[in-house]
Amino acid sequence: MKKIISIFSITLIILFSACNDDYMDRFPETSIGTENFFKSEEDLKMFIYNFYSFAGINNYGDDGYLTTDNSANTGSTELKNIMLSSNPSSATITEGWSWETLRDINLFLENFRNADISEDLLAHYEGLARFFRARFYMEKIKRFSDVPWYDQVIGTSDEELLFKSRDPRDMVVQKIFEDYEFASQNVKTDQPVGAVNKWVVLAYKARHALHEGTFRKYHSELELQSSANTYIQIAKDAAKEIMDNGGFSIYSTGNIQSDYSSLFNSQNLTSNPEIIFANSSEDEVKNSGWWEWMFGNYEVSPSKDLLQAYLMSDGSYYSSQVSPETNSFVEEFENRDPRLKQTYAFPGWELINTGTYAQGGGIYKQQLQKNFTGYHQIKGFINSTDQTTQNGVDFPSIRFAEMLLIYAEAKAELGELSQGDLDNSINKLRERAGMPNLNMDPVIDPVQEARFPNVKSNSQWKEILEIRRERRIEMALEGYRYDDLMRWEAGKILETEPRGLYFSGLGKYDMTGDGVEDIVLLDLSESIPGAGDKEVNSIGETLIYYRVGAQDSDGSFYISGDNQGYIESVKERGNFVAPKYYYRPIPQTHTTVNPNLTQIFGWE
Amino acid sequence: MNKNQFQKIILEKFTYRIVIVLIIFLNVIAANAQENRVNGTVKSGHDNLPIPGVSVLIKGTTTGTVTNQDGEYNIATPTDGILVFSFIGMKTQEITINGQTNINVSLEEETTGLDEVVIVGYGVQKKVNLSGAVDAIDSKELESRPITNLAQGLQGVAPNLNIDFVSGEPGQAARINIRGVTSINGGEPLILIDGVPADTWELNRLTPEDVSDISVLKDASSAAIYGARAAFGVVLITTKSGTREGLHVSYNNNMSWSKPTLLPNKISDPYIYNRVLETSTDNTPWDNINFSDDTYAWAKERSDNPEGTVGVRVNPNDPTSWEYMGNRDWTYYFLDDYTYSQKHHIQIDGKTNKTRYYLSGSYDNENGALKIADDLFKRYSIRSKVDFTPFKWLTVGNNTLMTMTERREPSYLDIWDLYNLAPTSYDKNPDGSWANTGVGQEAARLLDGGDVDNRYNSTQSTFTAEARFFDGALKVNSDYTIRKGNSNYSYYYSKYKIGYGPEDVREIGSNSAYRSATFDTYNVFNIYSTFSKTFNKHQVTALVGFNQENNRSEWFNAQRDGVISGSLPTIALATGEDYVDERITDWAIRGTFFRLNYIFNERYIVEFNGRYDGTSKFPSETRFGFFPSTSAAWRIDRENFMRPIEHIVSTFKVRGSYGSLGNQNVYDDNGNPVYYGYIPTMNPSQAEYLVDGELPQRVSPPQLVSDNYSWETVSTVNFGADVGLFKDKLFAAFDIYQRNTKNMLTIGRDLPDVLGAAEPKENAADLQTNGWELSLTYKNNFNLAGKSFNFNTRFILSDSRSWITDFDNPNKNLSQYYIGQEFGELWGLESDGFYKTVEETQALDETQLIPWGALSIVPGWPKYVDQDGNGIIEKGYTVDDPKDAQIIGNTSPRFRYGLNLSFDWNGFDVRTFVQGIAKKDYYPRHYLYWGFYQQPYAGGYEHLMDFYRPTADSDVDMAKHSQAYIDAGLADANLDSQYPVLQAWLADRNLGEGLNDSKGLATPQTGYLLSAAYIRIKNITVGYTLPKTLTQKINIERVRFFVSGENIAEWSEVSDYFDPEAVTDDGHGYAYPFQRRYSFGVNIDF
Repeated sequence: MKKIISIFSITLIILFSACNDDYMDRFPETSIGTENFFKSEEDLKMFIYNFYSFAGINNYGDDGYLTTDNSANTGSTELKNIMLSSNPSSATITEGWSWETLRDINLFLENFRNADISEDLLAHYEGLARFFRARFYMEKIKRFSDVPWYDQVIGTSDEELLFKSRDPRDMVVQKIFEDYEFASQNVKTDQPVGAVNKWVVLAYKARHALHEGTFRKYHSELELQSSANTYIQIAKDAAKEIMDNGGFSIYSTGNIQSDYSSLFNSQNLTSNPEIIFANSSEDEVKNSGWWEWMFGNYEVSPSKDLLQAYLMSDGSYYSSQVSPETNSFVEEFENRDPRLKQTYAFPGWELINTGTYAQGGGIYKQQLQKNFTGYHQIKGFINSTDQTTQNGVDFPSIRFAEMLLIYAEAKAELGELSQGDLDNSINKLRERAGMPNLNMDPVIDPVQEARFPNVKSNSQWKEILEIRRERRIEMALEGYRYDDLMRWEAGKILETEPRGLYFSGLGKYDMTGDGVEDIVLLDLSESIPGAGDKEVNSIGETLIYYRVGAQDSDGSFYISGDNQGYIESVKERGNFVAPKYYYRPIPQTHTTVNPNLTQIFGWE
Repeated sequence: MNKNQFQKIILEKFTYRIVIVLIIFLNVIAANAQENRVNGTVKSGHDNLPIPGVSVLIKGTTTGTVTNQDGEYNIATPTDGILVFSFIGMKTQEITINGQTNINVSLEEETTGLDEVVIVGYGVQKKVNLSGAVDAIDSKELESRPITNLAQGLQGVAPNLNIDFVSGEPGQAARINIRGVTSINGGEPLILIDGVPADTWELNRLTPEDVSDISVLKDASSAAIYGARAAFGVVLITTKSGTREGLHVSYNNNMSWSKPTLLPNKISDPYIYNRVLETSTDNTPWDNINFSDDTYAWAKERSDNPEGTVGVRVNPNDPTSWEYMGNRDWTYYFLDDYTYSQKHHIQIDGKTNKTRYYLSGSYDNENGALKIADDLFKRYSIRSKVDFTPFKWLTVGNNTLMTMTERREPSYLDIWDLYNLAPTSYDKNPDGSWANTGVGQEAARLLDGGDVDNRYNSTQSTFTAEARFFDGALKVNSDYTIRKGNSNYSYYYSKYKIGYGPEDVREIGSNSAYRSATFDTYNVFNIYSTFSKTFNKHQVTALVGFNQENNRSEWFNAQRDGVISGSLPTIALATGEDYVDERITDWAIRGTFFRLNYIFNERYIVEFNGRYDGTSKFPSETRFGFFPSTSAAWRIDRENFMRPIEHIVSTFKVRGSYGSLGNQNVYDDNGNPVYYGYIPTMNPSQAEYLVDGELPQRVSPPQLVSDNYSWETVSTVNFGADVGLFKDKLFAAFDIYQRNTKNMLTIGRDLPDVLGAAEPKENAADLQTNGWELSLTYKNNFNLAGKSFNFNTRFILSDSRSWITDFDNPNKNLSQYYIGQEFGELWGLESDGFYKTVEETQALDETQLIPWGALSIVPGWPKYVDQDGNGIIEKGYTVDDPKDAQIIGNTSPRFRYGLNLSFDWNGFDVRTFVQGIAKKDYYPRHYLYWGFYQQPYAGGYEHLMDFYRPTADSDVDMAKHSQAYIDAGLADANLDSQYPVLQAWLADRNLGEGLNDSKGLATPQTGYLLSAAYIRIKNITVGYTLPKTLTQKINIERVRFFVSGENIAEWSEVSDYFDPEAVTDDGHGYAYPFQRRYSFGVNIDF
């Protein structure tokens, strides 16, 4: 028995002797801890890439997806749903309250000084991080107005920070522009192609300052009008610095039919003098894809309203035509600003890339369908079947043209605009497009005037109207229209349902501009003939038949009047409740977690 | 062919095969001559009374008889055979005939199951002395089933050993669970094969024929000795050893033919398909599907006159391209056919004085459901097991296993694609090239688009030593195992050719090659000593031991685009972009454990188990935990007061146990194991923006970690009883348990999102599972036509339910777990049929349910019961204010059962096995059920043709329709339909599946709630063993032929749409098809 006990004891001693030694310590080998990172410039650079996020190909749909007067949209979009809803609330609007990026930026700012590099370089990297923080907060401000400001990493037990309430917009915006100021002072100009440099920082600074300044000016509910000019001034100065020192210019080879459109289907924008930042792509390295949905009635379609905003080629207003509202599709495109035919599919345009929602290639006959305007977008459309080409399209995320528009608008808003300013900005765009110059004290276009009744308090309101038009045309369908309408306090415009093509009655129409009829509109009571019974036109093509009717009929598409009128795309756009709908509520799930977050502007 | 016809044909074919086999062997029996006769009486050694019904068998044959009422028998025998006398409850006796003609036998009573030994952790125990909840499974239950994975054989054989397969894919690993919901982080039982931990993939590498014993340890006390990873039970698998003197050789094989169990029932008529599809989008604002008149005219022709109308033609409007009008359900083109599988197993075993050995080799080749390309799983396996006893006190041994598994399939194989093909699609152009359609492209991709080859080689060797001291009272065991596994995984994509038009065949697709390798090294070391002694009425067993394990897994991969040649698709011969990556993970555990077992007077049993365990997955401060347990049992049948009824109650034992165990398994949101969850780490990846023409590297931000990060503890209380009646002919075991999983690792308090990171996991939630399990066994034998008829049946039934008992969700938000929530509860709306009139649509506001905010609510739209009567149908956010939502069902499987019936008689053996789930709700949310209601891109299911149609078509439209369309009633009004108005996107689940996100029919509702309960005839096996007198002539000990059918038939409400087992996952039936398998095989023992 003794032996048994001793053997047992020995076993036990062996067993318990080596329990918590390094055998039990296992550490990751293919990932790295923060204590070993942020040591070199390379580390800082690699972390900064996490924050890169710039406009890309999908922006070509954003005038529709964000809901503007430039596009109709059948998809589910936030503002459309709000406007149509009987009771939009923080329970149903659930986007936008995410904060990951901010944490990562603040984590960088708390650690980057560990890197053993010069003060000068440290300042550059601090500037980059603060630039991204400013951008992050600007998006929050646009959506929620007052938001809590954090410039440090929050821990799980930092109760006070976690549960704090909103900070006032003014305070947060001051912080944002402190960041922009630091960044524009310290971020270097000579950076690799595709990396953020000083000009990118300044461009965002100008864009966001103009937004904030004009937003304050036209939104009295903020009670910040007195400081509006401060930010408009910042916008003007930032744009001016880029104009004076950035070395950029408007891309123009003298070819007014294609210089403009070539910015939107280019395989390489990085060396283009107009590009401040390009979201570049290269086949098999970073495939851009392309915006295939823009064709063939998928969800968005450009509106008649945008088409009518283009000037005539002699600089006169489309509204001054004899019967602007009842022009046929072919007539609408005659003698217009050349940018129109570089933006809209026009009579006689040839569809080559059929890998879309459109049916068939060749000389394009507008495919008409209920709920769509019938217009189609070619700005940004890659009309090529070559996959390498489709994969390698660059997107102009920041164009110098926008800086010129910012400069002109800021000057006009400040009441400082001169003919020299116009020549240095708007007229450079006009020149590239082959359009006459814009001069001071322009004639009033009643349509444009009606659109923005609130500009008249400005001394240079006539110029502002035309600068706004130029901005709409030059930047059409690039995704900026929504922000513009919001800052100009023009939400009411969105209540108008976008319209499509006009037809003066039943019968045959030419769609390709060759004088030969291509389509036939039939009354609802008629039926479309069978395949063999369809009429063939003089050039041997079978006519395309449509039955037309009112909304909710079983017609091929809906038309506003009795067998004549506009194509109706959207049944109803709903109501824009101001100022409430210029803002969004904090989603309810988050106000429940932190009751100190209260809703503003009537949101619940 | 409809389903009934199909089943009938299968049944006929199957029956036919059985009959052929039987006829052959019956003839063989008849040819069998008899030489000698022996008679005698069999009496009980206990009371010396004759015993009727005793089986008397000539050993090694199936020739035998049964004693009559007076215990007498009379049998024709060879002169030098051995007679075997057996009777339930008696010890079997063998007597050499040696020329005798009269043999009287006295059978000794066998104390019920007394000698039956069960494998438990680090030892064995007599079944009668168990105090925990342990199930022993006889490997005979698996014999001759055409399965390649042991888990398939374990499905439904032990109560609350819950085995699910999410698909019928060859080489698919099972999901194994013991006793229901374990933790919100998941938690599988610990599986040990010959004492070495294995996962379900490892189980896949085990040859089922090598298995001899399986034990399932269910409660805390029986599992406690494995502490660290045994919180959710243990499955112990022991492989065969040489147990018989001399040299024995056996060969088994099995050839099987299989085809999918159930495939979706799709529309095959092109006119109906196109018209219904267009109708579905006509009713939406997008209206994006519009077929031309020409298309309809062709579809009508093809529908009305399928033989006389072509399915492919040159497009009349564009002579450079083909145009198609198929008319079949293409799923069957790819999947429905018998594929052939086979398996072979050979074993050599035996023992001498000092040596025991078992050698086996096996080959399995399981073909999947795909019929047009290779889609298979192969396994090669060799096992060598040798024990040597150089001294009386010492035995050393080695157990080595080498396996190679291979999964080969087309790179492009995706079941989704096969299920979603439109009937109007087509396979080949007139020039023989693949059609420019879904079917043509899919077929081209599967055949020419490249292959995946995934090979895994595993070599495992265990060295064991056992030293015995003091006449065996003290044993010291030690073993060391090393397992080296490596995967050799490769795939490539090559371009394939599609015919776009006459003279226009294009090569499309990508071409790249990929290869990865994994090196797994696993070390296990155990040492333990056991002291066991009986002093008078005291029986004591004590065990103490130590265990340590570590595992290291290294993975890297390389990929390169731009393969030069499709015939040599390798990285070496590629010129494009390349990608490489690497991942290394490791972990270690270490523990010491003990067991104390004390039995007094064979009646009172007490046991203590405990383990002190540590894991590298937790920080050093919280790394170790102590997990104790205790159990007790009372063998009432041994008490004196039971004597008077012992002839009725042969076994009566009650048991109870309580224990606490740890769970160290942590998984991330994607279900991948987390090894370093307490260390914030940063990982490199490629950035998304081109800088200087390249995508630079970036390093991701670190995740948040918590200080509160340690073991989940799992405590189980268990009560059980074993009752055997009539010498255990009828035996019942019942257990009831409660399991509390505490401190589950989950996000702690719901913190404001300004935190900016996912809340770290910490020990913050509890759940409770209550359940019970029952097994009933009845076995008997009697005389049938002079031969012994042995009958054996086993029925098992189990149930469990689980609730969240702690979770930080004070508002009881429905998007998160909340206290009191039962697992599986399904929130939804109560159906109120359809809106019938426009007035009705205006009276009740359902706008919040409109998918994409855009569909129109019209008559025929689903209508819901307005529970709160406010005139608006809304779904609330919290349990306390759910508005019109309520719990409408529960998706957890309840009442799992299995029934095994077997008998043997005169060389025949028959076994049937039925398995199922008696209660489970299922709400369909996918294409396979909703077809065009989901989205107009896939589907077209026959059941959906019963949709709401407000009016009949006009005469003009009628003239356009095909006869089939009119015959199907699709042109008529259908106000009393099963399905609502046909709007595409009405059941779109892309908006989310949460109660609040989901819209339209994607929100669960009572009208379409299905029962996923099922009953399935899992297996029927019929075997016949040739008479020994015949086989001995050619020196063969035994020859048995058998036919077997797997997944023969099933009944379930969901089986109208998909296999009932395919909804165990969230896959909504989109699973690789389950297989019906018919097989034929032979067992030969030399």
